[in-house]
This record gives sequence, structure tokens and C-alpha cells, in this order.
Amino acid sequence: MNKKPLALKILDLVSIVLLIAATYLSIFVAPMERVMGNVQRVFYFHVGTAWVALIGFIFTAALSVIYLATKNLKWDRIQVAAVEVSVVFFLITIILGSIWARPAWNTWWTWDPRLTTAAVVELVYIAYFMLRQGLDDPNKRANFSAVYALIGGLSAPITFFSIRLFRTIHPVVIAGTNAEAEGSFSMSGGMLQAFFFALFAFTVIFIDLFWNRIRLGEAQAKVEEMKINAAY
Amino acid sequence: MATKASHPNSLSKKEAAIGGYFKAISAIIWKDVRAEFRSWELLSAMLVFSLLAILIFNFALELDVKTRQSVTAGVLWATFAFAGTLGLNRSMSIEKDRGCLDGLLLAPVDRSAIYFGKFFSNLAFMLIVEAIVLPVYSVLYNTNLFQPGLIAIILLGSVGYTSVGTLLAAMSVQTRTRDVLLPILLFPVAFAVLLSAVKASGGFLNGADFAEISFPINLLIVYDIIFIAISFMLFDAVVEE
Amino acid sequence: MFFQEVTPDTSSYMIAGFAITFLVLAAYVASLYLRDRNLKQDIDTLTELQKAAEAENLKMDKKRAPKKNAEK
Repeated sequence: MNKKPLALKILDLVSIVLLIAATYLSIFVAPMERVMGNVQRVFYFHVGTAWVALIGFIFTAALSVIYLATKNLKWDRIQVAAVEVSVVFFLITIILGSIWARPAWNTWWTWDPRLTTAAVVELVYIAYFMLRQGLDDPNKRANFSAVYALIGGLSAPITFFSIRLFRTIHPVVIAGTNAEAEGSFSMSGGMLQAFFFALFAFTVIFIDLFWNRIRLGEAQAKVEEMKINAAY
Repeated sequence: MATKASHPNSLSKKEAAIGGYFKAISAIIWKDVRAEFRSWELLSAMLVFSLLAILIFNFALELDVKTRQSVTAGVLWATFAFAGTLGLNRSMSIEKDRGCLDGLLLAPVDRSAIYFGKFFSNLAFMLIVEAIVLPVYSVLYNTNLFQPGLIAIILLGSVGYTSVGTLLAAMSVQTRTRDVLLPILLFPVAFAVLLSAVKASGGFLNGADFAEISFPINLLIVYDIIFIAISFMLFDAVVEE
Repeated sequence: MFFQEVTPDTSSYMIAGFAITFLVLAAYVASLYLRDRNLKQDIDTLTELQKAAEAENLKMDKKRAPKKNAEK
């Protein structure tokens, strides 16, 4: 546990290389989108980070169930790691989306279902960390965070539907959200290449950070345990 | 755990267990109601807070006749939500501070009975506050809020809000940050219920077609069912020592 | 969307986007590194404390072994 495993060191390096390569592909190789101009290039990172963050959040909910069934603190450590890395990636997603929205939709932010749900989900997982901070007992902390992560994960889809009640027909945004999927700009060969490479790169980077964070959690658990022992 | 009925002639036993379960729930509700009618600390705080909130909204939003039509539902639900966290926090802190929670946990009843007991008493307090705020609002702004549709929405919304609120309050009172934490935990999760409640209430107040408000109502019902079920299942993990 | 003949120059937004991405990632990696370093220091201090305490106990045990047993 103390020594960083070689595989992780290699993964660190691979992640850095992949990040640079993905940046290169998005900026220099992918052709420029004609309508939106260069800013469209952040789209590759936007989707890449969103993809891993959402997988991370779904994984988190599954970990809640596993933890509550087994009550093994190992799953709690894995969950914190997943939540933390996902929150970081999702923050990048939201910021990039906002930067893209400014020239494309002429506003930094609109209250459309996706954006609002993203903001609410991010707040749920920030609240998750505030909950953890207020608890010292590792078992109680793990119980509570598993419960909260599960509730938060379940509420996210309902939140998405509930916002559709409100800002339904926002024409610009609807065109915009479709553009994210495939709509208003169709991806040519170079774009697809950059897109899939970014997805791959961010998946690897996520795994790398996730692994590092799990090791950090293990060290934290060890220190907590030693502190308790030292107190006696 | 309540008695596990597996005997051949277990029907009566099962019935007794179910009866005991409901007895436990009603005992907790009674305890809360009786304590409240002795001290009035919960309801008075929620009520005064609600009235102050409406007062502030009145000037902050300049609730003239025209604005009122569009924002009444929002003002009401914002008031209910904040007053609700106040009540949830207080009702759970009382349990925690006076050691009642530990006593309840020692009682030979299913833990989920404790959840339902607290849920119903919290719901009752929230409904009482709403039952007082609605006529006051009606009088102050000369609008009739006593429409069966609106009352049904308020009931559905309050059920959803308190179902998850009771569970989260049971967690937040056990943390170091306590009172501060509940709204932070509750609001992002209860976002959907508040939004659909506002939408449905607003629809009723503005006389919208039922087709237009049936979706938020369905969403409220779905939310209520999911979150009562999940809170009921998870409550055990939150109170265990 | 809009129908412009000329592609608008949105390069500054692109640069800002990538810059912020790298910044956030770098900040996170730095926080991981710093927390890791602090924890390692904690572990070192605690192991030393533990060793010191054990040595102390050993001394105490040798000095008055029966008394310590009685205490326990």
C-alpha cells in the first residue's frame, strides 16, 4: 500500500500523454466547424468529461447498494474516490458547456433541463462531501454517505423530468442540445476521430485519478486508525 | 424486527404483528403531538417564520395584482420548504438531544415504524402550518386559495418533501454541522418535488387545463412513492449504532 | 442556429476552455499530491509516536511489571 505500484506510475504517464494527444487532435487535427468556429473544439472535452462523470455517478449509486449490503468500509473508500473524481470532471463539463454556450447561444447559462440537472447533480455531490465532513465515526460516515448518494442518484432522473415541465420550448437551446447529440453539426471523419479519442483519453484519465484517489483514501483510513490507537 | 410469522396458524400472529406495528407508529405520532401541544416550540417557530417569509416576499417581489398571479405558487412553496426544514430540524434535534432517539431504538419495534411515526408527525406539523398560512395568504392578497385541486397538490408535495426530509434530518442531526446541513442536503434532492408542486399549484391557480398539469401531478405521485419506499428501506442504516 | 456566411472567430473562447480544463485538472492533481504528502507525514509521525510509546511501555514494564498488571 505504501509504495506506488508500477502499473499506476505507468498509467499516470499514459494519462498525461493521452491528454496531450487528445488536445492536439481536437485543436489541430479535427476540422473547424463552419458555423460555430473554433469554440466547437471544446465539445470533444465537454462530452469526454461528461461521459466519465456520469458513468462515475451511476457507479457511485451501485457502490451505495454494495456498501449497504456488505458494510465493508472498502466500498466506502471506493465510493468517495468515484464521487470526488466525478465531481471534478463534471465541473469541467459544466464550465466547458458554459464557454461553448456563450458564442453559440449568446448566453453563459440557460435554465434548460440538461444544464439545470447538471447543476443540481453537482450540488448533490458537493452536499455529499459536506455531509462527510460533519462525521467522525468511519462506519456512520460510510452509512450516511451511502444513503445520501443513493437518494441523490435516484433523484437525478426525476429532477431532469421535472425541469422539462418548465423550460420546455426554448428554441435555441433545443437546437443546441440536439447539436450535442448529432443534430446541427454532423461530424466528419476528423471530428469523429477526435471525439472518440477524447472519450477514450478521459476514460483512462478518470481511471488513473480514481486509482490514485482510492490509494489516498486508504492512507486516510490508516491515519485515522493510527490516531485512534494512539489515543489509547 | 417484529415477530416473524411462519407458524401454520400464524394468521393471528401476523395480525398481531401488524397491529403492533401500527400501534408503534401511532404511539410515536401521539408522543410528538402531545409534546408539541405542551411546548408549542415547533409550530410557533414554523408559523412565525412563514408569516415573516410572506412579509419579505411581499416587498421583495412587490406582489401587486399582476405579479401575484404568476408567483403565488412559488412564494407559497418557497415558504413551505423553508418552514419545513425548520420543523424537520427541530423535531429531530429534540429526539437527539433528549436521548429519545436512543430510547426509541431500544424499543422492540421495527425501525421502520420509527420512520413512519416521525414521518407522519412531521407531515402533520407541516400540514398544520400550511393550513394556517393558506387562509392568511388568502386574506392578505384577496385571492381564494381554497381549491380542492390546490389542496391535493399541497398534500402530495408535502408528503414527498417530508418523506425524504425525515430521513435526511435523521442524518443531519447526528453530524457536527447539524442544523446548517439539512437544507444543503435536502434542497438538491427535493428539487424535483418542489418544482412539480409549484408547476401544478400554479396551474390550478391560473385555471389551466387538467391535461397541462397532469404531468407534474404524476411526477409528484411517482416521487412520493419512490422516496417513501427508499427512505423506509434506508432508515435502518441511518439510525443504527 | 444562426446563418452566417463567415465563420465567427471564437478562438478566444476555445483557448479559455482548454486553459480552464487544464487548470482544473492540475489543481485537482495538486490537491491529491498535497493530501498524499500530508498523510505520509502523519503516518511517519504516528509510527514514531507509537514506537516511542512502546519503548516507554517496555521500560515501565521492566521497572514495575506486577503493578502494571494489577492496574489492568
